[in-house]
Amino acid sequence: MGPANVVDNLTMAVEEGEIFGFLGPNGAGKTTTIKMLLGIIYPTSGEAFVLGKEIGDMNVHRVISYLPERPYYYEHMTGLELLKFYGSLFGLSDLEKYKSLLEKVNLHNDMHKPLSQYSKGMQQRVGLAQSLLNDPKLLFLDEPTAGLDPIAHTEIRDLILQFRDEGRTVFISSHELSEVERICDRVAIINRGKLERMGRLDDLLKGARVEIIAEGVTREAADKLKVGDSTVSHHDGRVIIDMSETEDTNAVIDGIRGANGKIVSVVPRRRRLEDLFVETVRTAPSATGAESK
Amino acid sequence: MRVILSIAATSVGEAIRRRVLLVILLAGLLLLSILPGLSVLSARGEAANLVSTMYFVLQGTSVLIAIVLAVYMIPNEIERRTIYVILSKPVTRWQFLLGKYLGAVFAVGLMMGLMTIVALVLFWISQRPDAGRLAQLAQGPFMFFVQMCLLAAVTIFFSTFVSPLVNFFLSVGMYLMGTTLNSLYDSFVKNPDVNPLVRLAGQAVTTVLPNFSYYNVSNPLIHPEVEIQNPLTYYVNVTGYGVIYIMGLLIAGILIFDRREV
Repeated sequence: MGPANVVDNLTMAVEEGEIFGFLGPNGAGKTTTIKMLLGIIYPTSGEAFVLGKEIGDMNVHRVISYLPERPYYYEHMTGLELLKFYGSLFGLSDLEKYKSLLEKVNLHNDMHKPLSQYSKGMQQRVGLAQSLLNDPKLLFLDEPTAGLDPIAHTEIRDLILQFRDEGRTVFISSHELSEVERICDRVAIINRGKLERMGRLDDLLKGARVEIIAEGVTREAADKLKVGDSTVSHHDGRVIIDMSETEDTNAVIDGIRGANGKIVSVVPRRRRLEDLFVETVRTAPSATGAESK
Repeated sequence: MRVILSIAATSVGEAIRRRVLLVILLAGLLLLSILPGLSVLSARGEAANLVSTMYFVLQGTSVLIAIVLAVYMIPNEIERRTIYVILSKPVTRWQFLLGKYLGAVFAVGLMMGLMTIVALVLFWISQRPDAGRLAQLAQGPFMFFVQMCLLAAVTIFFSTFVSPLVNFFLSVGMYLMGTTLNSLYDSFVKNPDVNPLVRLAGQAVTTVLPNFSYYNVSNPLIHPEVEIQNPLTYYVNVTGYGVIYIMGLLIAGILIFDRREV
């Protein structure tokens, strides 16, 4: 077996001050892309710039930060010692700053505890604290909420939103699509190393659906109501029609009435990121599995 | 420099908490502690025997500690992904590697220092030597320490491109060969009866491999009648040899590690 292209011909740009969601199924190349942007691994071809400078530039490393997926820290250290260590890598020795960062992530009461006694959520939070040591312009967060309980989820989400309010750019790789939908301004979806979709969430989730539920419509009559990509299903004597809002909703309603049916509800439904993600990954040309360079 | 020292200090903190190293250290200390008792029981309860055995235990324990410690220093950072956060900071790979090396040296130094103190105290209790003799005996562990610095550099160098298991055997092999280089040199290079090609190969091997036997100066220390003509010059020369060799190994390691995907 020859080497595989984990990331292939990926072109994208992240705008300053936004929360950018970088999505893809397992093995899509998300972490590899982040590692390339951080200069931890090297691309075989192409070029990438972080804050306008070539990757690996140490001046850029002074103003960016990274929180890896499931971070592991030196367990013999306390939370405060960890910040002291990472701070020293920036030439910092500001004890008050370390304490205020731990307070910001709500760990001020646990700063003298060894990291081996920290829960997953606390480890993520101390990770976020270390990522703020250098007052970064750009944060790379790899699966920041993976494996956390709902409370920790909320805390991390609030912190990320706070980062944007402070004018920082946040690049998040995540599988938690509902979280991404709540906080991201733009997203990119990659699959097998190729970019499949990218854009503002509002734009990508356009093309909303309408769900019409009716009673007293025969199956034959209901089948005649299909338009475009709409689906018609039957449940407990009711007909459920799921259709794009761009189709003629009134014509379908008239059709139901013409078939002596009764309209139960007409509910506009916003498309969810999860639907877009599944659709993108399933229908992507790269999903056929034909390529393996 | 601060970055390198921070990484080194963190590495020492990790190393002195590793159970396997503490077990080796404890075994070494235990052996050192029972040696004076065994020496009294031996037919020739000579101080020379005691010192010789203490040096042997100290050196053997130090070799194990140095190799086991250095073998896992970089692979552990990669496996636990701690290296990613460090390299995302303004830290270059050469700073990282140098910090890890210094961390290994400091940790080995700490453990060797502890063993040396225990050995000297026990020797003083059992033999009551004068201060001059004690100071002379402390030179042996110092040379072993330089030897361990060289061994740690060999191991760190290998760890930039081979797995820990392979590295362990390579490092042990290098050490064993390096401690017999003088004998090899005498047998092949100095011997006029040997085939010129074999002599040339012997010359190449003894030049390229690190000569660990330079640091085994225990004989003159154990037997004061055996003297090095100019001890100071000898110690400076072999320490200089070690430093140059260590620098060469670290530069080669940095060049490999710099392009390696972690």
